[in-house]
Amino acid sequence: MIRFSSVAKRYPGGQEALRGVSLEVAAGEMVAVTGHSGAGKSTLLKLAAGIERPSSGTVVVNGQNLGALGETALAVLRRRVGFIFQDHKLLHDRNCFENVALPLRIAGFGREEAGRRVRAALDKVGLLARERALPVALSGGEQQRLCIARAIVNRPTLLVADEPTGNLDADYARAIVALFASFHQLGVTVLLSSHDDASLAALDCRRVVLAGGALA
Amino acid sequence: MSVWLRLHAHALAEALGRLARQPVASGLAVVVLGLAIALPVVAAIALRSVGAAAAGLDAEPHVNVYLALAATDEDVRRVETALRAHPEAARVRFVPREQALAELKATSHLAEVLAALQRNPLPHAFTVRVRTTEAERIAALRAEWGRLPQVEQVQADFEWSRRLAGWAGFARRALGVGWLLLGAAVALIVGHMIRLQVVTRGPEIEVSQLIGATAADVRRPFLYHGLLQGLLAGAAALALATGLAAWTSLELRALTDSYALEFKVIFPDLLEWILVLAGAALLGLVGAWVAVSQELRRFAAGP
Repeated sequence: MIRFSSVAKRYPGGQEALRGVSLEVAAGEMVAVTGHSGAGKSTLLKLAAGIERPSSGTVVVNGQNLGALGETALAVLRRRVGFIFQDHKLLHDRNCFENVALPLRIAGFGREEAGRRVRAALDKVGLLARERALPVALSGGEQQRLCIARAIVNRPTLLVADEPTGNLDADYARAIVALFASFHQLGVTVLLSSHDDASLAALDCRRVVLAGGALA
Repeated sequence: MSVWLRLHAHALAEALGRLARQPVASGLAVVVLGLAIALPVVAAIALRSVGAAAAGLDAEPHVNVYLALAATDEDVRRVETALRAHPEAARVRFVPREQALAELKATSHLAEVLAALQRNPLPHAFTVRVRTTEAERIAALRAEWGRLPQVEQVQADFEWSRRLAGWAGFARRALGVGWLLLGAAVALIVGHMIRLQVVTRGPEIEVSQLIGATAADVRRPFLYHGLLQGLLAGAAALALATGLAAWTSLELRALTDSYALEFKVIFPDLLEWILVLAGAALLGLVGAWVAVSQELRRFAAGP
């Protein structure tokens, strides 16, 4: 499903976020990447989702070498990956329904099918009753769940979550972790990150540790 | 419906929705663009109308030779022979005094006055096309032909119509430059407005790209917006130009009737309407394309 081979990532300015990372994630597997802040977890996840390109080495997702893909092909690949952003990246002038519908609108879904899928995704994360609410009216945990609903609405085979339990209290964090466990049970490949091992304690998954941009 | 069609339908609906959500701002933008497009349209209507009127004027180099009222048929033959034999005369046309009177009656409001006259006050005349346009040589011809027997007056009054034709040619070239400049202005104005919208919608564009929107997906609704703005501006320009031309036509008719002149405002035909609308829409599209492409490159480059 995902294969990193000797991947390095340097940002403009010379900051090296990842160096020599080799990692495989099998289809249907759930992997948690842990490590301190600045260890390179977010960069690793963005590379897996086709949001970033490696500076050297190769990243292969579903048999496609991301470094060899053009911008359009890379964008189309991102449609098949559900990404949950650390800062949610919700549109605050759109209500919950419209936020979740955004990936379907981009993919060209019809109104009826999109409506069915959006409501199913909102129902899955327990936000169906808030479909007309604006994100600012939601709590932090609800915003995180809204972001998850947007990530799953396109029924991706790969879910990537960057610090999905960050800044949440224990109860909300447990609920979010349970959601990922349910997606994994449905056969979805899950790659998530956390700087807090305790929040992922309930997850039955493989753990890899990043330190200073390299796998420990 | 295919995905491709649905994406375009979404983009069109989004662009229409954005125009409708901001009726005042959209309306003002359309009026500003419409005024910019209307200027060359009005100029084109005016130029073509003046050009059509000027086409009826004789701008070829010619000299009119008027005989005395007492000239006999023999005098006419003698003058005609002299004129036709002259190397500078390219063509000679005789206008008998009866024909001159009939033409004057037909083309002026003086018919009743002329009918009341006891006799024809107009002389026999010759219109001579000359081979030269040089003022000195024409002055020499006037002097020479003025000395012929029974010739009372020789006039060369085509210069003003030649100048008018020259100005009309210059105005046509100036109009071409005007079309280019105002077209560029329209594209720039649309581009500026679209750029503001792209910046305003920066977060949405960023999120859309992160979750799989291609550059074409991002660009599409803005292109439709530019296209619609251009189309509406073109329609506004045509309405404005036609209204102005209709009003001018009424005013001019009252004026030219009193001078027994015929001046008609020539309105754009259907094909020209379509061309102006298509051109305006194209300018809107180009402006939007340039603006969105620039902003997308900026997004891609990051802060």
